[in-house]
Amino acid sequence: MPKIEVNERAFFDLVGKRYTDPAALEELLPAAKAELDEWKPGEGKDDERTIKIELNDTNRPDLWSTGGLARQLRVYLGGKIPDYPFFSRKGALREPPKDLRVIVDPNLKGIRPYITAFLISGKPITDAVLRDVIQTQEKLCWNYGRKRKSIAMGVYRAELIKFPIHYVAADPDATSFVPLGMTRKLSLRNILKEHPKGIEFGSIVAGLPRFPYIHDDDGETVSFPPVINSDRIGGVKVGDSRLFVEITGTDLPTLNIACNIVACDFADSGYEITPVRIEYPYDTAHGRSVVTPYYFQEPVSAELPYVHKILGDKLTMDETVSALNRMADRTEVKGDTVTVFPGEYRNDFLHAADIVEDVAMGRGLESFKPQAPRDFTIGRITPLESLSRKAKSIMVGLGFQEMIYNYLGSRKDYIERMNLDGKDAVQISNPMSENFEFVRNSILPSLLASEAESGRATYPHHIFEVGKVCYKNDEENYGVSTRGAIGWLSAVRDANYNLAASQFNSLMYFLGREYSVVACEDPRFIHGRTAAVMYSGRRIGLFGEVDPAVLSNWNITMPCIAGEVEIEALL
Amino acid sequence: MDIRGIVKGLHPLEVRVLRRYRRGSPITAESIMKDLEYKLGQCNQVFSWLQAKGLVVEKTRRTKTAYELTELGKEYVEKGSPEERIMKLLGDKGPLSIRDITDRLGLENKDVGSAFGILSKEGALGMDGEKRVTILDAAKAARLSVTRRIFELAASSGIVDEDALSEMEKGVVAGIAKKRGAGTAPFRVVERDEVVYELEAGVDDIRAELETEGITGEEAGAVTPEMLETGSWKTSSFRAYNIDLPPGRLIPGRRNAYAEFLENTKDKLVSLGFEEFDGSLVETEFWNCDALFMPQFHAARDIHDVYSVKSPEKAKFIEEPYLSAVARVHEDGGDTGSRGWQYGFDREFTKRLILRSQGTVMSARTLPKARVPGRYFGMLRCFRYDKVDATHLSDFYQTEGIVLGEEVNLRTLLGFLEMFAVEVAGATEVKYVPGYFPFTEPSVEVHIKHPVLGWFELGGSGIFRPEVSKTLGVDCPVLAWGIGIDRMALMALGLNDLRELFSNDIESVRMRRAKGN
Repeated sequence: MPKIEVNERAFFDLVGKRYTDPAALEELLPAAKAELDEWKPGEGKDDERTIKIELNDTNRPDLWSTGGLARQLRVYLGGKIPDYPFFSRKGALREPPKDLRVIVDPNLKGIRPYITAFLISGKPITDAVLRDVIQTQEKLCWNYGRKRKSIAMGVYRAELIKFPIHYVAADPDATSFVPLGMTRKLSLRNILKEHPKGIEFGSIVAGLPRFPYIHDDDGETVSFPPVINSDRIGGVKVGDSRLFVEITGTDLPTLNIACNIVACDFADSGYEITPVRIEYPYDTAHGRSVVTPYYFQEPVSAELPYVHKILGDKLTMDETVSALNRMADRTEVKGDTVTVFPGEYRNDFLHAADIVEDVAMGRGLESFKPQAPRDFTIGRITPLESLSRKAKSIMVGLGFQEMIYNYLGSRKDYIERMNLDGKDAVQISNPMSENFEFVRNSILPSLLASEAESGRATYPHHIFEVGKVCYKNDEENYGVSTRGAIGWLSAVRDANYNLAASQFNSLMYFLGREYSVVACEDPRFIHGRTAAVMYSGRRIGLFGEVDPAVLSNWNITMPCIAGEVEIEALL
Repeated sequence: MDIRGIVKGLHPLEVRVLRRYRRGSPITAESIMKDLEYKLGQCNQVFSWLQAKGLVVEKTRRTKTAYELTELGKEYVEKGSPEERIMKLLGDKGPLSIRDITDRLGLENKDVGSAFGILSKEGALGMDGEKRVTILDAAKAARLSVTRRIFELAASSGIVDEDALSEMEKGVVAGIAKKRGAGTAPFRVVERDEVVYELEAGVDDIRAELETEGITGEEAGAVTPEMLETGSWKTSSFRAYNIDLPPGRLIPGRRNAYAEFLENTKDKLVSLGFEEFDGSLVETEFWNCDALFMPQFHAARDIHDVYSVKSPEKAKFIEEPYLSAVARVHEDGGDTGSRGWQYGFDREFTKRLILRSQGTVMSARTLPKARVPGRYFGMLRCFRYDKVDATHLSDFYQTEGIVLGEEVNLRTLLGFLEMFAVEVAGATEVKYVPGYFPFTEPSVEVHIKHPVLGWFELGGSGIFRPEVSKTLGVDCPVLAWGIGIDRMALMALGLNDLRELFSNDIESVRMRRAKGN
């Protein structure tokens, strides 16, 4: 969930209303699926204070900036739906000045094929705007652009650029420039090794034959996307009044959305947007010659009866339309059908259901009266849950304390300390730490870990758990079985096989299940003091005296008996 | 002095002492042992209790020496010492070789040797011409009768006071007693303090109270089966217990408070007409995300950072027709009325095995076989790629469910949420705000006010996108909801660290209990 910081004065200027009470702002934010994270209205000056806001809708990147969030709230509070005349559309391209072009190299096709761009001008960049555009860039490229993999954005000092711009696939060794934050030239390949951003993002391009590279018409470096900008042209400062913005990437709709979001944000803040023509030597969804920012969204329609069915309230068409307009959705009505033309910055209308949600939000959730269900259904727990509960009550009667454990653990605990080879254990390939690298294949290590940590608890210890275990099983589609199991352990001075057998026998007697035992060898238990449990001709578990070698692995100094059976097998 | 209070707290052993003795007369352990037939341990106990209550005072203390029979000494008392036995044997049988003596008495060579050594030195025994031991002068062994007398004195109690011995006896016993390492000597030297106590002022009042109350210290401690069988209880009175003492601890078999909380919540959902579902901990990308219409290459996937299974890496297959239907809905919306996500669905990636990251997996899996109308829920262990701390666990429970029906809609969704808030969480106020989940539209978050715990987020919900429900064979609207059960549990159990819910610590689990009913 992205979290953003907005400058208080700039934000409220754009919202068109000043708030002083956090509670009042908290009331408003749900209209953008946002939550107030931190705001201290009392401290310092309003143009120095920031408001931290968390955005819950990962499909609405337009809300992850001061301008975008403010736009949603401004319209919700009654503001006009904004108009952005600089957009090109299918069959209606804007005509940028002749030189404002990006010429794309054919070799980029399999590398990083798309680029969008525009120019910002009209007034100098302030500190707040600069901070906000850097934040927008981060949020868009990180959260929405999958850590710059699908989109990366750069902002430049347009004064220093000689247009047209060339987006090329460059030789990583023969191309070099001074990257942002450095004073010497490095080849593209060396940037991956030596520049912090190269180390962070290098893996996106490292395996490519040629690297994406942007230079101006004089051959001056603009950027090495998605890694780092040129130190000279990319060093944007407060006071600059002409900025060039480009976004490169692999997925055209994602790229267009990001481009449109940034352009609309600057336009809302009173800047002038000048489109840029992109000339592709290959086909794209929008043709070979595209002018960006580009409105590519398709209208989506909903029938009024569908709106009624999903919301449960019979709204009139007028109510429906005014709710949608409040959400900044442009609409067109034909009979029972309402058509939404999504905002330039949105790409989350996939289905009529998306219109219905905007109707609900625009009208306000509080306007819908909760209705008790009228259908009759029968509730029940699973047979496994039912049998588990029976087993638990027997174990409690036998003097056992019920435990409940985590299912992830370390190789050391689940395998090594149990004297097992771990062949059937399910391992995680991307563990957060080696402490949580395996799914448990038995309850026994959980119980022993408890005993190992509880040497100071008054003895005797009788503990058990009913829970899940997971192990490899080639007979299943997933190659893995999850089973409900019961495991128990007694740590007492005179723990011995006979007690273990009596405990298990009581459990099975009261569960009403006939079983037999056969001698078995298991590295976790003392040889000759272990019984495998047979039920319906199948081995379903075992119990016995825990091997002193295992106890010593756990640093346990009290003799233990323990057992485990798949309770699911008793169903 | 709180006479009644003291009397109430007196042990029978104390009562009998207080009633037996008067102020001014000396009391010793010895006298109590004689008068009241207490054991030495009981004497020491009663003195320490009475002293703590200020009812007796120590008058004098002196160290006394006593001789205690060792295991060897006890054997000598019974069978006679080697010396005695040799004298007797020779008296009966006449001269014998050392070898003969050893064999006949079953003694060790060295014991016979050392006994012969002492007795011959005293002139009682000698060796004749045939190297046989013979009695020279039995009277020279008179020392043996002194030893025997000391043995007799010690025989009954196992110990004899030095005071009880004559000067001659003292000399003899000193020769056969050792202070330490007494294994080879018949006596061990024991030094102990003889303490003389006297009753303190105030005991007269206490005695008077005891007499008034008729407390003798002879009251029975417990009702025994014998008393019941013989009827002797009729003539017994029972000693009063001090009910103000803190009770002793029992360690019962017990349910786990958190597991019980989960079960109670299940029962509440069952009472609201929900049927439970359950499933595999290992899932596929398909069911975990793809079936829930989360695009394979979209940021929405990042909010569910998942654990991948190392081996096997993939499921053998994904069930049809769902694989094809889901692939299509991602690509172009299929027949759901959606435009889809407009990308090429990866049919290999979707088979990737992961640890279930959200309970909604099982809601999706339930859809194809669900009844209409139908209500289903699961309390499912889920796994997240999170750093474990007080608010995050790598595995935890999610409670999720679905409601299918021709007439379910946003208003019935709110109706269900209100039911959960009141029935499951005990809320007094409910607030709904728009939420976001990739698989529901519209989506609603529920915040509730609990009378004790205040406002908190109860959970999230929504109506399944048609891209989810229709693709899995359900044409009617489906409400989907989830409750943050672990957070509710923390509050119910008065904890503030999620790790505590799954605690390994037996003691803290034993003592834990839930608030309320």
